[in-house]
Amino acid sequence: MAALETPQSSTLRQAFGNVLSVFILLLIGILAFSIRLFSVIKYESVIHEFDPYFNYRVTQFLTKNGIYDFWNWFDDRTWYPLGRVIGGTVYPGLTLTAGTLWRILNSLNIPLSVETVCVFTAPIFSAFASWAAYLLTKEVKGVGAGLTAAALLAMVPSYISRSVAGSYDNEAVAIFALIFTFYLYIKALNTGSLFYATLNAISYFYMVCSWGGYTFIINLIPMHVLLCIVTGRYSSRLYIAYAPLVVLGTLLASLVPVVGFNAVMTSEHFASFLVFIIIHVVALVYYIKGILSPQMFKVAVTLVVSIGLIVCGAVLAVLIAMVASSPTKGWSGRSLSLLDPTYASKYIPIIASVSEHQPPTWPSYFMDINVLAFLVPAGIIACFLPLSDASSFAVLYIVTSVYFSGVMVRLMLVLAPAACIMSGIALSEAFGVFTRSIKFQLPGVTQNSPVNAGDTGNVMQNDVVKTEKSEDSLKERPSRKNKKKEKDNVERASVVPKTEKRLSVLPLEASVIAIFLLVLLGAFYVVHCVWAAAEAYSAPSIVLTSRSHDGLHVFDDFREAYGWLRHNTEVDDKVASWWDYGYQTTAMANRTVIVDNNTWNNTHIATVGTAMSSPEKAAWEIFNSLDVKYVLVVFGGLVGYPSDDINKFLWMVRIGGGVFPHIKEPDYLRDGQYRIDSQATPTMLNSLMYKLSYYRFVETDGKGFDRVRNTEIGKKYFKLTHFEEVFTTHHWMVRIYKLKPPKNRIRGKTKKAKSKASSKRSGTLKNNPWH
Amino acid sequence: MPSPVGRWLQVKACGLVQKSSSLAKVLLFSAVDQAATRRSQPEAVHCTNTQKIEKMGRSTATKDAQALFRTLHSAYAATPTNLKIIDLYIVFAVVTAVIQVVYMAIVGSFPFNSFLSGLLSCVGTAVLAVCLRIQVNKENKEFKDLPPERAFADFVLCNVVLHLVIMNFLG
Repeated sequence: MAALETPQSSTLRQAFGNVLSVFILLLIGILAFSIRLFSVIKYESVIHEFDPYFNYRVTQFLTKNGIYDFWNWFDDRTWYPLGRVIGGTVYPGLTLTAGTLWRILNSLNIPLSVETVCVFTAPIFSAFASWAAYLLTKEVKGVGAGLTAAALLAMVPSYISRSVAGSYDNEAVAIFALIFTFYLYIKALNTGSLFYATLNAISYFYMVCSWGGYTFIINLIPMHVLLCIVTGRYSSRLYIAYAPLVVLGTLLASLVPVVGFNAVMTSEHFASFLVFIIIHVVALVYYIKGILSPQMFKVAVTLVVSIGLIVCGAVLAVLIAMVASSPTKGWSGRSLSLLDPTYASKYIPIIASVSEHQPPTWPSYFMDINVLAFLVPAGIIACFLPLSDASSFAVLYIVTSVYFSGVMVRLMLVLAPAACIMSGIALSEAFGVFTRSIKFQLPGVTQNSPVNAGDTGNVMQNDVVKTEKSEDSLKERPSRKNKKKEKDNVERASVVPKTEKRLSVLPLEASVIAIFLLVLLGAFYVVHCVWAAAEAYSAPSIVLTSRSHDGLHVFDDFREAYGWLRHNTEVDDKVASWWDYGYQTTAMANRTVIVDNNTWNNTHIATVGTAMSSPEKAAWEIFNSLDVKYVLVVFGGLVGYPSDDINKFLWMVRIGGGVFPHIKEPDYLRDGQYRIDSQATPTMLNSLMYKLSYYRFVETDGKGFDRVRNTEIGKKYFKLTHFEEVFTTHHWMVRIYKLKPPKNRIRGKTKKAKSKASSKRSGTLKNNPWH
Repeated sequence: MPSPVGRWLQVKACGLVQKSSSLAKVLLFSAVDQAATRRSQPEAVHCTNTQKIEKMGRSTATKDAQALFRTLHSAYAATPTNLKIIDLYIVFAVVTAVIQVVYMAIVGSFPFNSFLSGLLSCVGTAVLAVCLRIQVNKENKEFKDLPPERAFADFVLCNVVLHLVIMNFLG
């Protein structure tokens, strides 16, 4: 029974292991897909948030008009009167992917609507991302670590938050492209195959198409190459993995209209060119060292170093002069805000105002990557034993992504795959050590050759890891506790009939308890992930719900307002609102807006902000100059919705004040405090935002009690002179006002007033905020 | 050791321009034997003020340089012919790239995408040829299991992708 392992049974075991791995990967894919479906089950199959509505609208255009019209599309229904060049300013990867998917499905006579395809794109690509994480970790450490990392990535809450069904945003496909590009790079590095290097460049092209975060790849890979060179790990495989990527990657990146010539002219890409030159120098040095004798090589070195220094110095001086001449040293605003976290708050208030760009708090790390936060350091240590090119890349990836996630909470998303890879490595190594300890201390069995022990050790580790995984994947259906799991493990451990006396093995009881505790850790992780997916990250934010003592309330006010706009206004009417709602308005209400979430023109946004902060007449003038017909405000005071326009008002003041100096923030604060009650400043009480939010609010409960600010409002009874209310939704969350046309005739006024009011033209010239 | 090289440096600085382009090629890609043969007699020194004093230092330094280039030449001559053909192809690609840069410096960089695609196609073919050379070189221990036909097929595939992109980007 304890005989020599025959070759047939070892290949049989290998084959069995492979089949089991494929089956587990399939289950992981299904898990990744289904854990993201909570919002579809709880609400409906609807697109969430703000940015996805823009992507949805673009995809609709693509499917209706074809790719040439999409590529050349100039959108005149946003940023009125400027318009927006969609073809040149959007990252086309996501829309092209969904469009292709829709076209393939329709050609197979599966008539899914564009909305359905858009809603479910993210879960599908998260399944692909888990498989890519398996491939990547397999290259770094092995199959066991790969499976664990894939299972962890399928469930990690940080990734779920940006890729639920309905979150149709760039990150849905970009994270898959990121992991896949890294996998192909490591594969090319490990095998030295030019084929994988080509595939790497193509995958990098897909990443550039999908997300602005591609600069992370094009800076991380050169950093890793430099690290390898500096630590003496230069090899020709490194050259083959890196040099074609730079050339092909730069070319492919320039093909995407959004990037264009930025691929060779901005500082984000200079690192890759610098390391390109460095790797050629190093390659040449190694080549010459190979063909020369040592003393000749020394002569060559002195000769080359002296000449080369002069040439390099000249080139470097020219480059530095070119870069230093631009005020931002060639970096874009967003990249600068990553490198210097205080940059945005000092210079670009729009970037600073986005809530996703704030630094994360400590609890958000635990919420978003949970147990992995403890396992990452163990994984880093495991990567050093032994250190290979691939594991040094994994360490570099986790270190840089931890830094960037500390700058912007939105970049926790880039940390998630790195954390899963590290934790997968840590968990699989830990399981390996413990199960080896158990196996080699089981009493009463002898062993023949160490080769077979290693072989069965591997399969044993696979078995245990897979047991844990299949148990975990069972867990996501509401099954009960984990009592049968540890029994299963111990049974599986005792089945193996081989053992051997080996050194550096942990005691048997400790190993058993440790395995049990690790499995318990995994169970906690799974429970947390499912809870986070179900409760925290599945809100579509266009539909709100609340539970009270008399049941479930659903607040569908946004869609109600957009529906009203769609059916009760002319097609060419312009709607002004704060930029948050621009995408939703164009997509759902199909009306032209003044500013939207793209925030590319700060002055235009400042104009709208100034209008919202000014008194009625001045605001009417500004809006009239922009041909606005309707103004939309979001008000949460009646139901306690905290993200309404009154809470965002100070940002409107700041951004408006940044361009139009007559708006001063202290005018709106009483003793440095922002209030809307009776102690509020007159500027605040007279501003358009206050008036439009609280018009007739006192009629709701007689006292005008604002549930968000928890006070009674300051000015309760007032009339609107230049605007008229046309629609307020059921819970008063969205209020739409129409600009009153100017009076034809002024009675009883002097000639001066008549000439002022009779023609809009002279009126706007006088109070024109543009002068 | 430093001071004769320093003196040799001052002398060399006068005649640097003729030699910098060929030296740049040596720096960027594999050693070229034409450069070695051309530079084995470095007489073109025009600076007169330091000639007498540096003559002795110069001679030892140039003797070192000459010995170096002769060794390089002989070592390079020992490489197999197929690798030399690849090296010639690399030199051709780099020279084409240099010509394009000079042309751009003369007539300006509009349209920039054409210049970029032309330059990067030359650089790209040079890089891919270097990769091919690495994989085909019999002395490379890491690639002894790789049949040269597979290496060439990869080279062709990568070139196809590169030139597809170039064609698209050329405008």
